[in-house]
Amino acid sequence: MKKISCIFIVDDDPITVFGIKKMLNSATSCDDIQIFQNGLEAFHAIKDRQAKGMNMPEVIFLDINMPIMDGWDFLDELISLDIKKQIIINLITSSIDPLDYEKWNTFKDKCPHPLKFKNKPIFKIETNDLVCMDVAS
Amino acid sequence: MKSLERVNQFYLLKQLPKATALLCKKGILLDASCSWLGIFSLPPQNETIDTKVFQLYPEISNLKKKLKEQKPFTVHHKIENTRETRHFKSYFAPWFDEKENVIGTIIQTDDITSEVEKEEQLNWLTNVLETKVEVSKTGWWEYSVEKDELLWCKETKRIHQVPDCYEPTTIEAIDFYKIGYCQNKVSMLFHKAIANHQPYDTKVMLVTFTGEERWVRITGKPFVKDGKISKVFGTIKDIHDKEIAETRVKEHQQLLSTLVDSLPLNVYVKDLESRKVLVNKGECNYFSKNADELIGKSDFDLYKDKEAQISRNEDIQVMKHLTPMIGKETVSKLNGKTTYFLTSKIPYFDLEGKVCGLIGMSLDITSLKKKEEQLRNLITVTSRQNQKLISFAHIVSHNLRSHSANFSMLLEFLKAEKDMEERKQIITMLNRASDNLLETMENLNQVVDINTKSPEIKKPIDLKYTISQALYNLSDYLKSNDAQIINNVAENIEVSCVPSYLDSIIGNLISNAVKYKNPDRTPIITINAIKSKEKLLLSISDNGMGIDLNKHGDKIFGMYKTFHKRKGAKGFGLYLIKNQIEAMGGSITVQSEVDKGTTFNVYFNEEN
Repeated sequence: MKKISCIFIVDDDPITVFGIKKMLNSATSCDDIQIFQNGLEAFHAIKDRQAKGMNMPEVIFLDINMPIMDGWDFLDELISLDIKKQIIINLITSSIDPLDYEKWNTFKDKCPHPLKFKNKPIFKIETNDLVCMDVAS
Repeated sequence: MKSLERVNQFYLLKQLPKATALLCKKGILLDASCSWLGIFSLPPQNETIDTKVFQLYPEISNLKKKLKEQKPFTVHHKIENTRETRHFKSYFAPWFDEKENVIGTIIQTDDITSEVEKEEQLNWLTNVLETKVEVSKTGWWEYSVEKDELLWCKETKRIHQVPDCYEPTTIEAIDFYKIGYCQNKVSMLFHKAIANHQPYDTKVMLVTFTGEERWVRITGKPFVKDGKISKVFGTIKDIHDKEIAETRVKEHQQLLSTLVDSLPLNVYVKDLESRKVLVNKGECNYFSKNADELIGKSDFDLYKDKEAQISRNEDIQVMKHLTPMIGKETVSKLNGKTTYFLTSKIPYFDLEGKVCGLIGMSLDITSLKKKEEQLRNLITVTSRQNQKLISFAHIVSHNLRSHSANFSMLLEFLKAEKDMEERKQIITMLNRASDNLLETMENLNQVVDINTKSPEIKKPIDLKYTISQALYNLSDYLKSNDAQIINNVAENIEVSCVPSYLDSIIGNLISNAVKYKNPDRTPIITINAIKSKEKLLLSISDNGMGIDLNKHGDKIFGMYKTFHKRKGAKGFGLYLIKNQIEAMGGSITVQSEVDKGTTFNVYFNEEN
């Protein structure tokens, strides 16, 4: 099982958080899983970690519809930060709005981190949701 | 030959009042009266002068022969000098002696110059008359009452298309007019001319000898002497072609004016100074004036200066550059009423091809414009509703999907899970998911009700009373938050509203104002109401945290949108009341500044 140092789950729905945590248990072993209710909380945590020189999350599970700061706004803020290491970001949403899909496409191009789009429901977290496939190989 | 006795005789001759001369058989002038000599400018005669008569009548070449015949005859001759020409008539008669032997010739000469001149003048006049008749195609006729005789001139006969030898009677002449009105009329006029001495001048239809129907103008004038009529003189003129042409022109004019008047257009003709020279019925009706009041007026006399100038500029453009203006939308204000026109102006040329004004046509499209406006409003409303439906469909799909996705996921877990503890937890989660779904369904139901149920009846509600009720219901919440309420709403303001909606609107806005208070300040909430004829504005202001509208402005009334981390913030209240307000034909706006406060303005539509 792949060991991952840090995972962020950013979602205001406790059931989804419960599900992701449960699926992560059988997909990886991670000692540092952080839960955030909205984008702003997660963003503050990342900035905090960066300031303190702590390790960045390797994977983020990000909801789109959240109060205060939604997934898109969080991505905007994240892009503005200078983060050396790539973070695998999984957008988790129940939205089937084509606009959200288009938005994902534009973010995919400008985001320095791998950005995946996953429609709910999800039943299993695959290895490639957690590790960066080396494009060069 | 000459004796004293004869001399005496000749002396007598000299004195004769009538110009007289005596010739010998050889044609030599023996002697003559002074007057005769005067005519020929001859000196008194004596034996020494040998005047031959033939020299005196140079134009009569056969005078010698004629004298020999010894029979009386007459010759006309003239004597010209530098000043004048005089005409004479000379009577030659044989001169007998006592034994009836011809011994010479007696000449008597009359000056007929005045007669000849009169005759010439008469000829000339006749000529003039004939020419006139010929040119004007006016014939004449004359009826002698005494003799009951009718005389037609050549032209009159030509007009009747009868041969020159035709001699009409009055009855025949009258029969030439068309049976019915025309014949009766001529008959009556002719009768009146004779009986009452009334002249006449009229237009009637003639049926010619060859059966052709032609319009003629006839006149008749009685000649009365000592109160008694002697004759009737009259003229007849063929005016058929002119009459037909005139009729045609009149018909064209009639057609044109009927056409112009019946067109559903305002038609006008303007001169170079943009003064109206012709207006149709439509134009008159538009100004509620008759044509005489409009003709000669320019737009400056009829409209305000600014509008008139616009119109005048168009006119100049059309008349100067000769480019027609076709189908331009124009607006006219008359007595405070606005009319929209589709106006065309085209240059108007005179017969010489020079521009002399313009022809304008304006189609009133006000009702069309109104319909277009209504249609546009309808489209706006429809597209707004459509937009609302789409966004609602997305909300529904998103919210329901997220719950169903949770159900699927949890059920999948449950299927695979063996551990009892874990299963228990999954079931707890399933229960929660079910509760969430129910709540969402209930919220959505409320919104669907607002938007799909036939609009609930609006009732006049006392605003101040409703507000105080809402404040009473929230009193515990307000007290626990130390909130201060400034209610500036006047007494007796009525708002036309669905009661339950008004409760919801006021309740939501006040509780929101408290919910998003600034933790460092006591919440102060101010409520104001301004009533105008069609609208009532209710504004609820707070001194709370405020919202960054640049960032969240488009989402503030969205469903499940929250912007502050506050317990109980579900992002449904504003969405609900916006739906309620709009369902009643009103609107809601927001002004906000971060850390200062927020004002919500609710506009209630007081019209039905």
